[in-house]
Amino acid sequence: MNRRHLISLALLCSPLLLAHDMWIEPSTFFPKNGDVVSLRLLVGQELLGDPLPRSSALINRFIHEDAAGRKPVIGREGANPAGFVRVAEPGMQVVGYWSNPSAVEQTAEKFNRYLKEEGLDSIAALRARRGQKGGVVHELFARCAKSLVLSGAPNKLQADRALGLPLELVAERNPYLLGAAEELPVRLTYENRPLAGALVVAINRLNPMEKLSARSGVDGRVRLKLRSGGMWLIKTVHMIPAPAGANAEWLSYWASLTFELPVTNAKGR
Amino acid sequence: MSLRKVLPILLALCSLAAAHEIGSTRVTARFPGDGTYAIEVVTDGAALAEKLQGAAIDSAKFRQRIKIAFDDTAVDPSISYSVTPAPDATSAPAATIRLTGQIPANARQLTWTFGWTFVTYSFQAGNATEWLEGSQPSKPVSLAVQTPPPGRLDIIGRYLTLGFTHIVPHGLDHMLFVLGIYLLSRRARSVLLQVSAFTLAHSITLGLSIYGVVSVSPRVVEPMIALSIAYVAIENLFLSELRSWRIALVFGFGLLHGLGFAGVLQELGLPRAEFLTALLSFNVGVEAGQLAVIAAAFLLVGWRYSDRIWYRSRIVIPASLMIACTAIYWTVERLIA
Repeated sequence: MNRRHLISLALLCSPLLLAHDMWIEPSTFFPKNGDVVSLRLLVGQELLGDPLPRSSALINRFIHEDAAGRKPVIGREGANPAGFVRVAEPGMQVVGYWSNPSAVEQTAEKFNRYLKEEGLDSIAALRARRGQKGGVVHELFARCAKSLVLSGAPNKLQADRALGLPLELVAERNPYLLGAAEELPVRLTYENRPLAGALVVAINRLNPMEKLSARSGVDGRVRLKLRSGGMWLIKTVHMIPAPAGANAEWLSYWASLTFELPVTNAKGR
Repeated sequence: MSLRKVLPILLALCSLAAAHEIGSTRVTARFPGDGTYAIEVVTDGAALAEKLQGAAIDSAKFRQRIKIAFDDTAVDPSISYSVTPAPDATSAPAATIRLTGQIPANARQLTWTFGWTFVTYSFQAGNATEWLEGSQPSKPVSLAVQTPPPGRLDIIGRYLTLGFTHIVPHGLDHMLFVLGIYLLSRRARSVLLQVSAFTLAHSITLGLSIYGVVSVSPRVVEPMIALSIAYVAIENLFLSELRSWRIALVFGFGLLHGLGFAGVLQELGLPRAEFLTALLSFNVGVEAGQLAVIAAAFLLVGWRYSDRIWYRSRIVIPASLMIACTAIYWTVERLIA
């Protein structure tokens, strides 16, 4: 475990959860070659979510990359599941979704609590320096979600890859080859450069209240010891002052990465 | 930040006006005027089941996150629910939860809170629709200004328009099919017989689908509709007179198009109280749309040029070829999608 990173395993049973995660949930993480996998876009907390129907107004990029290259994820407007991919090449299928920004406004009190929950300490400090205490805060937020789906047997040549999302989590090892007691190195980039100091949180489907969290190092890396099998959501938020003319004070990016560790492999984790 | 980096952000911000994370939950409040209220929540069945984690819909756990208040006095509704299975693999099952009860005497307004969704959802009371975030209380809804449900004439007008606009201008595929029928022959009898067969057939499947007697996935129906357009147009290249089997084929294709119309009508929804009125009005609107296409084609080319010697070579064949190419493209596109 890297000492520069604060790794904490804590029960974060907070009734004050204000901001909602967004993740991609495929119908299966282990399709056979030729299978069609449906992709649900979910918004929620503790891995309980509501599906977002497909909306072309929201989609900036919705893509699927395999060994043969990159293709758009197809789907019917307004439909849930929002997209479908056909597995044409065995190996790692990387799915990415980048949304156009949505607007949200909330009281300063709620906004400050949300900054604390998401570990956005630098923004909280900036607001304090600017004397921004009360009133209503206007924020734009964009989603940058990814999912790793594996077709066939895992091997070392398969890997997650950067899809060019503004804020992106990239697993630097094939999670499907992760052994017991091994850490998963994950790199966080913002505009293709390592992002340091961001709070990265990992949540497991089988025990969503027990969260694993770490701050990214100067190289943008965190190392997460994923002890349980089942679906994992790794997530982080990055916030910047909104560009001029955006009718908002802040612009945030919400990155997520989902994959499923086979329960059989998880024995002894 | 360089222009290269700023540009995608600015472009994305430009589309902000339309971009909102809106879920599939819809809530409708009704006050029939007999001192009762009925609130209907339609939401994703699978997501709700996951959130309930085994608890029943009428359990204390479910009620905990729902608040119906009349003039700040919370009431405890009766709860019933039903689940509509997913019509095909590309859709999800929907849960419909009905919350009903008596409105307290002298109550003037309702406030609604629904804590079982995380995304934006619509709350409709009377003619007013409010977009709410999960757990956000609605604005107080005045019980006095609730407009009565639309009358029969309103429904006829509304569904006639929906049926018509589903053909013109929104239904380019149906328009091309009707044009394909029109282009076959110069004789009015040919058009009349084909349109009658088509109308009869799509009325049958539209009705059967809406009443739930038949159900075919749009993934099957939509490519078949495109293929039927291609077939009619290609046949026009080889045939210039009506044959009896052409009528039978058009009848068969009409059955398919009716399934397509039903999909649209199911998405639009039909008022329960005037189900048959709305269904018939929609069908008549579709007919009017088709006749408008034929009338336009007749006025533009048929009236003046159908007796010319070059009518077939310069109008029927090129137009049929264009229709066929477009329809083949749609067939492939719909098969891939």
